[in-house]
Amino acid sequence: MIWQQFVSLAGSYPLALRGLGMTVMLSVISLVLGTLIGFALGIVRTGGNRLMAGVIGAWVDLIRGTPFLVQIFLIFFILPEFGIELDAFTAGIIALTNLAACFICEIVAAGIRSVPTGQVEAALASGLSRLQRMRQVVLPQAMRIVLPPLVGQYVLLIKDSSVVSAIGLTDLTRVGWLVVQRVPNGLLVFFLVGVGYFIVCYPLILLARRLESRLGAAHGEVQL
Amino acid sequence: MTSNPKGPASMTTTGMIDFRGVNKWFGPLNVLKDITLSVQPREVVVVCGPSGSGKSTLIRCINGLETIKDGDLIVDGQRLGDPATNMTRLRTEIGFVFQSFNLYPHKTALENVTLAPIHVRKIPRAEAEQAGRELLAKVGLADKVGAYPAQLSGGQQQRVAIARCLGMRPKIMLFDEPTSALDPEMISEVLDVMVAVAEEGMTMMVVTHEMGFARKVAQRVVFMDAGAIVESGTPDEFFSHPRTDRSRAFLSKILRH
Repeated sequence: MIWQQFVSLAGSYPLALRGLGMTVMLSVISLVLGTLIGFALGIVRTGGNRLMAGVIGAWVDLIRGTPFLVQIFLIFFILPEFGIELDAFTAGIIALTNLAACFICEIVAAGIRSVPTGQVEAALASGLSRLQRMRQVVLPQAMRIVLPPLVGQYVLLIKDSSVVSAIGLTDLTRVGWLVVQRVPNGLLVFFLVGVGYFIVCYPLILLARRLESRLGAAHGEVQL
Repeated sequence: MTSNPKGPASMTTTGMIDFRGVNKWFGPLNVLKDITLSVQPREVVVVCGPSGSGKSTLIRCINGLETIKDGDLIVDGQRLGDPATNMTRLRTEIGFVFQSFNLYPHKTALENVTLAPIHVRKIPRAEAEQAGRELLAKVGLADKVGAYPAQLSGGQQQRVAIARCLGMRPKIMLFDEPTSALDPEMISEVLDVMVAVAEEGMTMMVVTHEMGFARKVAQRVVFMDAGAIVESGTPDEFFSHPRTDRSRAFLSKILRH
């Protein structure tokens, strides 16, 4: 009985690989885009333009205050009502990128705010332009605050990508649902799905740890 | 003369820094009251006064860290607040030394000194580093080139901060209580560097209560109280014959011990 299940599971490995590939692709694309947009939003949010900062703040609150599943449904099922037809993959990327950008915006903004005013004043006094102040002085210091929660957020977002299975994308989670119909052992199947997500997330967790210690060293601090 | 469309900036000003009837408010508080003061090239002016008297605000206005409400402030021939004045460029001519050093903690002493020369002055890296090493040697920190601020004492950090300003070859240097955050035994190492800078002919405004420094290098001492310049004179005049009750009271407090 169990043996048959294993054989059947082994037969589903091309499907499982496809699902893993989809999860990785969704995650990589939306995290890269979300990081770029999130940094841009975070910088504008802490910049001088109150109107822009307010609009971004309101949007971030809205996204953070509503379930991701609802956001995906709105994008995939409601937008077509207004004539915007999206395939499931595009809808998933948009929803995940938006979610990532909003969370990362807040993390980046908090990091930028943590840099003491004196640092900006010193950069100003040296005649550094706005862009140079950001790149040379503010962001490198903000990164120390930003990096640990940022990578933590990546891990959360990779796991959130499982929600896109709800609009029919064959990601790792949906593969689990498909396989469990043929192999009626939910515990085993979803254990393996969990292992799949863990394999994607764990290197990131390790990377975060390494980056943190390298940044610590770059500040001339004592290594433990 | 005033009909000149370019305004006060092109008037005959000999001062490197010219305050003309400058006022500033923080909310209802008049922190700078009708300040008129002219600092000549190569002049060293010490600004003193009780805390909250507006002396820090006064020098922070000069490089635009604070903006003025009315009056004219002309620095190196350019009127602050004038649309024609490029504040970022003007700041490259003005070094500013902070009470709390404000070194970049993620950069070494040398990188702190070379950052602005490389990125603002566009000096080739090798050349900027060579100049940076020489400047750090000049402030007595040749052996701390690769140290991070966290590895340096307060006095060393402040000397790096002065080297950082000198790296831009400024025309003016402003010091905002440069020794107030230092342990007593570190004050003289910083003052020695400041004396050396003054003796090279730098135009300087120094907010400080270090009266020894004032006597040694300042041509003028300006005493401020409650946002106004109460008294101004040579160090000798000011310390030996203060003219007002407020300056006498102030001096008796700082010179008592």
